[in-house]
Amino acid sequence: MYTLLIVQLAVSGALMGMVYALIAYGFQLTFATSKSINFGQGELVMLSAFFSLTLIDSGLPYWLVVPGGMLFGAVLGLFVERAAVRLSLEQKGEGWILLTIILGLLGFSAAENIWGRDDRPFPTPISSDPLHFFGIDVTPLELSVAIGVLAVMGLVELFKRKTLLGKAFEAVSADRDAAQLMGISATRTIQLSYGLSGLVAALAGILVAPITTVGPTMASVLILKAFSVAVVAGLDSGFGIVLVGLFLGALESLTSFYLGSGWREAPGLVLLILALAVRPNGVFGKASIRKV
Amino acid sequence: MLTVENLHAGYGTSEVLVGVSLEVKAGTVVALIGANGAGKTTTMRAISGMIRPNRGRVLLDGRPVQDQDAAHIARLGLAHSPEGRKVFGPLTVEDNLLLGAYGRLPRFFGFRARAAADLKNIYALFPRLEERRLQTAGTLSGGEQQMLAIGRALMSKPKVMLLDEPSMGLAPIIVQEVFHTIRRLKETGITLLLVEQFAKSALEVADYAYVMDRGHIAIEGTPAHLREDERVLAAYLG
Repeated sequence: MYTLLIVQLAVSGALMGMVYALIAYGFQLTFATSKSINFGQGELVMLSAFFSLTLIDSGLPYWLVVPGGMLFGAVLGLFVERAAVRLSLEQKGEGWILLTIILGLLGFSAAENIWGRDDRPFPTPISSDPLHFFGIDVTPLELSVAIGVLAVMGLVELFKRKTLLGKAFEAVSADRDAAQLMGISATRTIQLSYGLSGLVAALAGILVAPITTVGPTMASVLILKAFSVAVVAGLDSGFGIVLVGLFLGALESLTSFYLGSGWREAPGLVLLILALAVRPNGVFGKASIRKV
Repeated sequence: MLTVENLHAGYGTSEVLVGVSLEVKAGTVVALIGANGAGKTTTMRAISGMIRPNRGRVLLDGRPVQDQDAAHIARLGLAHSPEGRKVFGPLTVEDNLLLGAYGRLPRFFGFRARAAADLKNIYALFPRLEERRLQTAGTLSGGEQQMLAIGRALMSKPKVMLLDEPSMGLAPIIVQEVFHTIRRLKETGITLLLVEQFAKSALEVADYAYVMDRGHIAIEGTPAHLREDERVLAAYLG
């Protein structure tokens, strides 16, 4: 019975960890093409969740809200690239760090003004009644998180491998100068990566919203975990990110059970510190990461 | 086909090229030789838009391109096989080749079918690449990577091809193979600007040659003419 409890905790936690993985995946996408990431990604997650909530309130069915919210996230991603990243990359500077943080703060204020400071429930047609697998309870809601994460990551990976545009994306990641010599526009590819990054971040927000509720601060802890996952796994391994996400999710769940819920955020931070100290390129990483 | 007029370019505030002028006529192979640091690679980079020239003009098929970015110049018909080959290591050999034709293929689906005939031509030229078509480019030997870099440049069906130091870091026997390939390409009527430190081999294959020295063209002429030139003999063909 006791083992079953541990497994139960680990599974529930791991499913939550998939959300970290998805947000971390968004970091990977832009880092691959541009060696930059959006430090306001958490606000992007939150804004997309709020926007989706507004869509639901306006009576749109859930199956339209999901793509609508993702589209909104993609547009936000494109906006971040245009407003905060492109100029500083052209100047080969690091201005994007500060600018993306500032955009995030602006997004936060905007959300507080438009939607208020309160946490609001996110209605979903997906049931929270547990299903039983070998004595473990899993809710369809938790399952939808895992399925959604794997589906969108799978689709993006398929796009990268099967379409010429996707291969161009990989080419820019591998060697930006050489890619330009093939007639591939690095600027457009970076734009695309920010669009995709916004899209997956929005999905993360929509998937997690029914569990965490929607509020201006809903993503602040989430984003910290996603950073941990991205750094621990390395910024170039999609597979590694899922694995580390699952692991961290399970670890958190067990930690909060054994040490108390106050310790819930500890494993992510400890892993982050350990990774930076021992393997700064990540457990699954190859390329050296420029520390910023 | 390619005309460079009084080109000035460099990195940051240091100017490497101080007025380079040269011409590559359609269907000819032109060699650019000179000592290390003379500015050969910088010339290539300035022509293809990898660095922006400070002054001067680059005309591709009569059209000024010196203000365009590299991706745009490539799509106008200039293929630059850069120094150090720069193949896409994590991608397969075939994907590398397909990306060579990026400018004229559909972006999503059907690009493989559209490129099939051209791929076949490249594989006929480099059977080794066909054997390794599904291997990642990073696992190829230096010579194979050079073949791939040339094949990738050819895939775009360029009006002009720039080939920078194809012999760099290769064993002598492989270097011979590379020059054999260049001769075969010449028979097909390719328009080629070739940078080489093996001046002798380069002069054997070229129709015309330029000798660079400290950022400008010091001597130019037909290979026969240059072989007679005492300065060239002393400095590069000794």
